[in-house]
Amino acid sequence: MAPPPASAVPDAMNSPVSRPRDSQTNIDIMAVTKGFHWPWLIALLIAVSGVIAAASVLAWQTYEGLGVAGYQAPVFWGVYIITFVFWIGIGHAGTLISAILYLFRAKWRNAINRGAEAMTVFAVLTAALFPLIHIGRLWKFYFLLPYPNQRYLWVNFKSPLLWDVFAVNTYLTISVLFFLVGLVPDIAVARDRAVGWKKAVYTILALGWQGTGKQWKAHNRTVLHLSGIATPLVLSVHSIVSWDFAMSIVPGWHATIFAPYFVAGAIFGGFAMVIVVMIPVRRIFRLEKYITDYHFENMSRFILFTSLICGYAYGAEYFIAWYSGVEFEQTSFWLRAFGPYWFSTWCMIVFNVFMPQLLWIKSLRTNLPFLFVLCFFINLGMWFERYVIIITSLSREYIPAAWGLYIPSAVELTVLTGSFCWFSMFFLLFLKMFPIIAISEVKELEIHAKEAH
Amino acid sequence: MATLVSVYELVSDTSNVVRSLKARGFDDLTTYSPAPFPELEEAEDPTPSKVRVLTLIGGLVGVVTGFGIQIWMSMDWPIKIAGKNFAAIPPMWIIGFELTILFGGILTVIGLIAFGGLYPRKLDEHYSPRFSGDEFGVVVNCSDRDVAEVEALMRGNNAKEVKLHG
Amino acid sequence: MSELDRRDFLKIVGLSAGAAATVACDPPEKLIPYVIQPEEITPGIAVNYASTCQECPVGCGLHVKTREGRPIKFEGNPEHPVNKGKLCGRGQVGVSRAYHPDRITGPATRAADGSLQSISWEDATAKLAAKLGSAASRTYILGGPVGPTLTGVIDQFAGAAGLAGHLTYSNFGQRALIEASEQVFGASAAPVFDLSGADLIVDFGNDFLDGSIELAAQFSAAQDIASHSDGGARLIAVSPRQSLTASNADHWVAAAPGSEGVLALALAKAVAQKKGVSVGAAVSGANVSGALSAAGISQTIFNQLVEKLAGASHAVALPPGVAASTSSSAGSAAAVLHLNVVLGAVGSQLTYPAEDAAPTASLADVIGLIDKMNTGKVDCLLIHDLNPVFSLPAAAGFAEALKKVDLVVSFAQLADETSEASGLLLPDNTSVESWGDVSPRPGIRSIIQPTLRPLHDTQMLGDTLLSVGRALGGNVAGQLPEGSFKSVLEANWAGENWRHVLATGGVFGEMPTRTVSVSASAGNIRPSAPKLAGSGDFTLVVYPHSYWGDGSSAALPWMQEIPDPVTKLSWNSWAEISMVKAEELGLTFGDVITVQTATGSVDVSVFPRGGIRDDVVAIPIGQGHTVGWYASMEGDEESPQKGVARGVNVADLLPAATDEAGGQAYVSTKASVTKTGRFRRLALSQWTDNQRERGLAPEVSLYDLAKGGGMAHFAAAANASEPEHGEGEEAETGHHFSGPPFEFDAGNDADPEQPYRWGMTIDNDKCTGCSSCIAACYVENNVSIVGEKQAIRHREMTWLRVERYSGDGEVDFSDGSERRPTPDGEVLGEVNTRHLPMLCQHCGAAPCEAVCPVIATYHTDEGINGMVYNRCVGTRYCGNNCTYKVRRFNYFDYGRKNWPGLLGMMLNPDVTVRGQGVMEKCSFCVQRIQTARQPAKDEGRDIRDGEVLTACQQTCASNAISFGNVRDQQSQPVKLAEEAGDRAYHALQILNTRPAVTYLAQVKRDENGGH
Repeated sequence: MAPPPASAVPDAMNSPVSRPRDSQTNIDIMAVTKGFHWPWLIALLIAVSGVIAAASVLAWQTYEGLGVAGYQAPVFWGVYIITFVFWIGIGHAGTLISAILYLFRAKWRNAINRGAEAMTVFAVLTAALFPLIHIGRLWKFYFLLPYPNQRYLWVNFKSPLLWDVFAVNTYLTISVLFFLVGLVPDIAVARDRAVGWKKAVYTILALGWQGTGKQWKAHNRTVLHLSGIATPLVLSVHSIVSWDFAMSIVPGWHATIFAPYFVAGAIFGGFAMVIVVMIPVRRIFRLEKYITDYHFENMSRFILFTSLICGYAYGAEYFIAWYSGVEFEQTSFWLRAFGPYWFSTWCMIVFNVFMPQLLWIKSLRTNLPFLFVLCFFINLGMWFERYVIIITSLSREYIPAAWGLYIPSAVELTVLTGSFCWFSMFFLLFLKMFPIIAISEVKELEIHAKEAH
Repeated sequence: MATLVSVYELVSDTSNVVRSLKARGFDDLTTYSPAPFPELEEAEDPTPSKVRVLTLIGGLVGVVTGFGIQIWMSMDWPIKIAGKNFAAIPPMWIIGFELTILFGGILTVIGLIAFGGLYPRKLDEHYSPRFSGDEFGVVVNCSDRDVAEVEALMRGNNAKEVKLHG
Repeated sequence: MSELDRRDFLKIVGLSAGAAATVACDPPEKLIPYVIQPEEITPGIAVNYASTCQECPVGCGLHVKTREGRPIKFEGNPEHPVNKGKLCGRGQVGVSRAYHPDRITGPATRAADGSLQSISWEDATAKLAAKLGSAASRTYILGGPVGPTLTGVIDQFAGAAGLAGHLTYSNFGQRALIEASEQVFGASAAPVFDLSGADLIVDFGNDFLDGSIELAAQFSAAQDIASHSDGGARLIAVSPRQSLTASNADHWVAAAPGSEGVLALALAKAVAQKKGVSVGAAVSGANVSGALSAAGISQTIFNQLVEKLAGASHAVALPPGVAASTSSSAGSAAAVLHLNVVLGAVGSQLTYPAEDAAPTASLADVIGLIDKMNTGKVDCLLIHDLNPVFSLPAAAGFAEALKKVDLVVSFAQLADETSEASGLLLPDNTSVESWGDVSPRPGIRSIIQPTLRPLHDTQMLGDTLLSVGRALGGNVAGQLPEGSFKSVLEANWAGENWRHVLATGGVFGEMPTRTVSVSASAGNIRPSAPKLAGSGDFTLVVYPHSYWGDGSSAALPWMQEIPDPVTKLSWNSWAEISMVKAEELGLTFGDVITVQTATGSVDVSVFPRGGIRDDVVAIPIGQGHTVGWYASMEGDEESPQKGVARGVNVADLLPAATDEAGGQAYVSTKASVTKTGRFRRLALSQWTDNQRERGLAPEVSLYDLAKGGGMAHFAAAANASEPEHGEGEEAETGHHFSGPPFEFDAGNDADPEQPYRWGMTIDNDKCTGCSSCIAACYVENNVSIVGEKQAIRHREMTWLRVERYSGDGEVDFSDGSERRPTPDGEVLGEVNTRHLPMLCQHCGAAPCEAVCPVIATYHTDEGINGMVYNRCVGTRYCGNNCTYKVRRFNYFDYGRKNWPGLLGMMLNPDVTVRGQGVMEKCSFCVQRIQTARQPAKDEGRDIRDGEVLTACQQTCASNAISFGNVRDQQSQPVKLAEEAGDRAYHALQILNTRPAVTYLAQVKRDENGGH
């Protein structure tokens, strides 16, 4: 096409650049961080007070000794380890959504992955506390790290607990990196629209992001590779956690099915938690436009699928216990279902296997009140799953004379509640600081849509 | 020396203008995009990012470190444990694997920082908040006598605006 | 160091201690060195002194182990003829008396308001002297059994001061037996039994396995399977409840309480007829059918007994003990003596000392004294080595009578109910601070020598009396011996080589015996049905608790914490009733019942069990103290209440009933049991006595053993039959156990480069379950006491427990939601009890080691499963993964908090005191191995077999435990396991943990009934 007449050039050049309107997406999503929401403040206050309560109880426990918890021989692991496994499990959904769905190019993830990633990071932060809360000499926790010392005291690389130390720390690091990498372009958005001290802060956090081609190229490649390595990582972490049990000799723990069983359970519980968190967020901050029924339906499908895997695992455990013909195993499992801990076992089975089957019905998959309630119960069920695995197995081992019972103490329950508050506190603060939805990724979809017509 | 700043609505136009500018030899250009678009990156620079090399290096360093520290620490003061061999290899795969991931991930991000120039710094002169909105920008440095041609190329590709900084 | 004098040195020490205090969080401790180093003390090396145990009147020889001048442990004196190096649980913890928080720290008077004012010994002596000066003729001494020298001094004092009387009273006296001997043989002494040669032992409620180390050891030797292919001696126990002896018997006759005598006489008659022995009227007059109905046993069982007794060549019968003492104890004892005559045991298994027994006071005499007190005939009462306020039947009214006495003087070492009721306290030294002697029986004189300068302002009873006597002045002083009590003692031992006596612990000669024959007056005394006061469906049986004795040992925390060997209960009182009755009354374990007798009632938690007659309710003696840090609820860690009793005192239930000889009759009342609806949880140390056919404590019959088919049917015991066959690779690598089908490189267990692999062999057939090993372990390894509340939560710290199972058990899937004995466990009249001492098995492939992230538990080169407390962070993973559940966790800072007062001084310096939050467990007494290693090194040799004795092995009366280097094919544990052949097995062997502990299965000697 012919170049325009040179005469036209100057005025064209001088034509005033009209002040452009900002993108609607930016406005909607940044709105979450701006303004004031009562529910948010109330939630935050509750969370903070819960954290303070738990912290003071923990201080007392550290001073007095773990006797204030419910431990009694032979049940040496209790609520703390249960809750550790629970939060690690929750921490799996985020990475799964961001990494695996990214690799599968499941674009629908874009609206929820930021929230899920944030959840992952905070869940793992919560989980990472529990091994420390659990050990008898908190002040000696650094013994667990292979730090150089004059006495040649190294750690035991044969111990699943040490594998945990490495796995959890790796997972924490990688998911934090993943999270921040995804966040940078959106912080730039915030930076460009903030004023005053906020702008100063965002400017630093945005790391000079401008969305140049060079940056996007490096960014895409980074996201791709992080997804690539995070995928096996996320599968490995919960497998390793499961080996804390599977590698031991305790009847009810020593099972090869544990790794896949735990991973499926983690995804199951993780997605449930995403829904439990996202439904109120979407409602309170009016994000219906971005987080649609379509998202919830997809997540429901995942939940249904993983619930079936869990159901299979439960069944397989009992079958093998019976099929093995080993009385230790048979007794252990029989008493799981019909012994003193029958309640937790049936909660687990009903909440995790029976109730999710309702998701076969399409209308329920998009019925948010129902989903919220269902997922709440699923989280409960997943906590009970760990309770069943840990407590019932430990209380019925090889020496009948040394059997025992374990009842969680008020201290442990306070800390358990505190862990939820701790998690919520982080999440609430995050809501007000950074975009809860990955703006750039949403835009990607929008602009493509624009291309279409 | 002149600098032309142009703004676009669509990613296709942006990639087209970039492609045609490069075809005409105007290589000194920068694109700004609110979202990641492979086609745009393709147009600007078809070579793959060097980040991947760092990931590989990180992974290799990780697996070596993983097995290295385990074998060394196990043999540094051999202690009998549970009637197993001092440096039993099978359990080492786990920590070896974890460190592979860890180092790989960290170096990947270092790559991002290095190649993406991600560190707190002053923004480009011609960067505009619009580019973090939903508009694309292409900034070209060219000699004054090429201004007309460049502008023409830009307008030809539906530039919403073209602005000249002399 | 020469120019640095002591003052400067102390300054520096103080300074450095202060400096240490500023940097360390631990409280500072001043390090004061000896001013003059005693030459016999080498810091770090234990010194043993021979002495005698004072926990009970038996008089076992001791080696008091001292470190840096502190007695830290009692061990049996191997040269002593009574206990031959062994000790019971009570003896083991006797060392703690000196450091006990209940110690009365100095002489004191009680003011009107009941508070104590401490005074000087001079004033105290003067005060007592003044009182005696005015009221000597109205003064009595009431004391427990003490050694000959002290008795002599007391008598001399009483005589010189002109006191009204000196009563030596023992709660568990032998007067009935002595009286019976007097009547039957004309010998006024208690017979001495020797079971070692016996082939059949009938125990008429003596419960000797619980009471006598000596008899237990003899019994174990008589039953030794290795030296008796026929299984050795058989034991028949007659007892209304399955006592410790009954649970180890081959046959248990659950005769009604108090029927032992008539049953014995009936047996004597029947056996005499069968053997064709002529007997006097005393025996021939026996009424067999009457006896059977009284005892409530069938003719068949009776005939079986007669068969066995008549068939045995060296049978012996043991007379009734405390739990079986009735209004006709002497008659019962006489009957048993008659039976022994018929059995031909007299002169062989049963001999009489040449000299008569020293006279002692009877309960009747004490009641007489109480009358005098009530009628104001007693102005002053001196009480020593006895706690009558607690132990005398409340019905006797001693406590009330005591209030009428103007001055009550107590010489108690530890505060007790009596000292609380006394106006003047003149505390005696504890046995480790005292001189003295004991004469267990003629021919044996055992010395008591101090190993510790008195910790408090206390004085030996003898010295106190002598000084009081001198204070009385005049002829009184004149009649008393010169010098201190020690000089009197030395004078009494003048005939002996004093140094030799101190070194060996006494003079141990043969007992001069006399030959006895049935006297003409034998018929005068006959057993009769017990007189039972009150009414009710139950007969109340009170029995001496293994550890509390008559209550005098209840103050020692170990005696409270270690579970009772039979019921496995601790820290409280309980009432045993039969499962059937519990069913009827709608009672389950822990429900509180009211036990009502004519004289009183108590509320106590119930322990239903199969092994007790339906018409009997049984409560242990010795609990229910209202005074004492541990004995009462005063020191309870969660709800301390001063003056509140821990458990119930059976003295509240018993009438002041006596037998023909005036001794106390303990089977003396009926009782009614009513449900209160309340519930009080008891600390039961084991979840269940059902081993679910897991073969943890299997049993092999003599028959199978002979066939060599042993225990093939036990999965856990399969392949256990050829341990220790260490040829080839086994011998080199030295792992002491080869068991297909599993792979294991023994080189990864014990280091092939060095000679040792420590291991243990435990013979369940010898183990009686007496649990003295547990006491020894507690004291040796500084194991903490946790108290009742923690024990209920199963948080006890014991490194060694004796599991008690009933039979092979059965796989039941009933909801086991509570800790209790299985209803169909024990069966009346049948014995199928298994005792399984469970300690760390020091596995070759230890599950606990693999899972510890910090290598706090690891494998030493010598195969020991080591535990590094300072490295432990307390993940407790090892505890979960230990298949034997022998690992313990420090839930609180037990090491610091649970050794109140001076108790910390008895801690063994060789063993780390564990801090809060770490795991701990049995170490195979590694400190003892180290002690043995040094001399071996010096002499350039390996540690010899038998040179290392673990604490549990050292004290085990029945020699059930042997420890040694299992690489040495000649070592005890290896040889025993090899001899045992099919009996040898490893617990839970299918798990391939390669335990270093080999168990030898219990032997079922006779098919019909019993084990």
